[in-house]
Amino acid sequence: MASYIFSLDFWASILRMATPIVFASMAAIIGDQANVLCIGYEGIMLFAALFGALGSALSQSLLVGTLCGMAAGVLLAAFFAYFVLYLDTKPLLAGLGVNTLGSGVTIYVIYLLTGMKLNTSTLPSLQFPDIQIPIVKDIPILGPLVSGHNLMVYLAFVATFFVWFLLFKTKLGLRIRAVGKDPNAAASMGINVKRTKFIALLFSGLLASFGGMYMSMGYMKYFSADMVAGRGFLGIAAQRLGVSNPSLVLVVTIIFGAATAFGIMAQTLPSVNLPSQFASMTPYLATLIGLAIMGEIAIRNKRLKINDIRRKALAEKSGKKE
Amino acid sequence: MDKFLDLFRGSVNPTVRVEKRFSALRLLIAVAIALFIAFLLMCTVSENPGKDFVTLLVGPLTSKSRTISIFNKLIPLLFTGTAVCLVFSCGQITTACEGAFYFGAVAATVVAVIPGIPAFLHIPLCLLVAAIAGAVIVMIPTWFNVRYGVLTIVVALLVTNVFVFLGQYLVANPLRDPTAGFEASYPFAESAVIPTIGIRHIHLGLIIGLVLVILGYYLLYHTPFGVEIRTVGNNQKFSQYSGINISRTAIVTSLLAGGMAAMGGATEILANYPRFVFTGTTNHGWNGIVIAVLCKNNPKFVPVAAFFLAYLSAAADALNAASKIPPEIINIIQPIIIIFVAATQLLSFWEHRAIVKASEKMLKEEK
Repeated sequence: MASYIFSLDFWASILRMATPIVFASMAAIIGDQANVLCIGYEGIMLFAALFGALGSALSQSLLVGTLCGMAAGVLLAAFFAYFVLYLDTKPLLAGLGVNTLGSGVTIYVIYLLTGMKLNTSTLPSLQFPDIQIPIVKDIPILGPLVSGHNLMVYLAFVATFFVWFLLFKTKLGLRIRAVGKDPNAAASMGINVKRTKFIALLFSGLLASFGGMYMSMGYMKYFSADMVAGRGFLGIAAQRLGVSNPSLVLVVTIIFGAATAFGIMAQTLPSVNLPSQFASMTPYLATLIGLAIMGEIAIRNKRLKINDIRRKALAEKSGKKE
Repeated sequence: MDKFLDLFRGSVNPTVRVEKRFSALRLLIAVAIALFIAFLLMCTVSENPGKDFVTLLVGPLTSKSRTISIFNKLIPLLFTGTAVCLVFSCGQITTACEGAFYFGAVAATVVAVIPGIPAFLHIPLCLLVAAIAGAVIVMIPTWFNVRYGVLTIVVALLVTNVFVFLGQYLVANPLRDPTAGFEASYPFAESAVIPTIGIRHIHLGLIIGLVLVILGYYLLYHTPFGVEIRTVGNNQKFSQYSGINISRTAIVTSLLAGGMAAMGGATEILANYPRFVFTGTTNHGWNGIVIAVLCKNNPKFVPVAAFFLAYLSAAADALNAASKIPPEIINIIQPIIIIFVAATQLLSFWEHRAIVKASEKMLKEEK
């Protein structure tokens, strides 16, 4: 078991599991910074996963497929944003609606095209290629660690950087954060609050759709019904655990990936033989435990801080008396 | 004299009157748009969309068994609908009722397969165990929310997944009947089967469900605790200032709601099936959310909304039998209805104009 944990396969497995969650959590970071409670990433990812695979199957071009997937995801995000921002639908209800819509529409479309409701394995869709980095791949140890993963795995790291850059280094990012922190102050500075939030949600949808496309065009070779399976929500949990800090969130998602990979490994290794249901449960249970631990730590820190302030105040008081 | 008459006209306030009218209008528009989209979708699959659309509208009324199936489908929705109305009323937007419904059925199965318990004790025992399990499942996300400030719905999804996998493990291992020939639990003991009330497929759950609807309505609108729940849901700061214990209210409400939803799952499985057969979540919790949104969290309207959803579901079945259209069309219609009903600014331009007009009229009359 220990030898497996330190093997390259395990590392590759972690990256595979973490990648879709990284995209979802980056989307959630932008949504959180703009202070819109978006939980519709599940539906957006399903849309992008299906339409990306379909686009690539029909056109036999990876680029066209990617553009289709991006368009589908962003369109659904725009639908959500319009209802939440301009028609005042409660964001949680709109998000639930978007998720169910994503599941319903994708199953309907699969049925329309294949006559079955399970998957699109009969369609010749394309996959994102594995990338061999020249020079680096020949370095011992480091080479296979860094090189040879799916294109989307690298894009996930790029996305992390992109989100950090967008939010903290650009004018638009500053506006998004301002609108999220205090919409009234932002409006008084002449920022169009609703439009800024709308743009933020479009970016959010774009990132989530990459996560969806990885599911159907990398993680698996075809789209299957409800294949996102809660990864959108795991992304939101990761964003929460990493307090919306892109690099911290990336670390959290890799821990999630490790928990999932560990569950799968424990299921296949004869020495452990974990029932498959418990293996599937690991990422969710690990997240729950993580949320509880982080919450307890936050509560303790707060209490310590209050005690600290109180002690200082007391010390000052007694100091004056003397 | 006019003022005296106003007492009999319902609300005196013209704003409230106009708002009510527009909220009904939005409901109609939502249903109309959803049906229109359903028609468009049918055109893509069906050779005869006109005929199929008629099937969607009146299909459930064409045969006796289909009409009965509406009521059979309505029963679990009474449970989940009331449960979701309760949690939504205290401001906890959660999907955990889905998990509570599923795991309630699992927990009831655990008790129901035990032979040799007298019938008058066996069914209540099954329901009680289910209710306890369900209460815990809905309580966990709320607890995370009030203690750590995590979004309830995110934890609800995680908890649902954990318990669905736990349920699948229980059914596939300790509860599995190796002689069944397929993956299913041991058959329920005869004393645990919930009896029908005279008509086939209409079981005692209907009465239990209706009682819970009434209790839920009474609790929310006729008790001090109900006022507390709704105050917490409407305005957390105000309820804090008025000395309501927000965490306690939210957690007690979640416990009650979870118990209700799980009892729905227990009655559904014990009345309709000889063994445990669910392979995963059953969408009853999601339907409960649709019902709560349609009812604006008032359990009084749950039976009507549940009937609407049950009718829609029976119609989808009729459609599936008559043509190639998959019943998943429901999963497209329902969210569209939800999103439009919840869109409070829809028609706001006309609404504001109507409110201004009505208020001006009232001011003139007062002069």
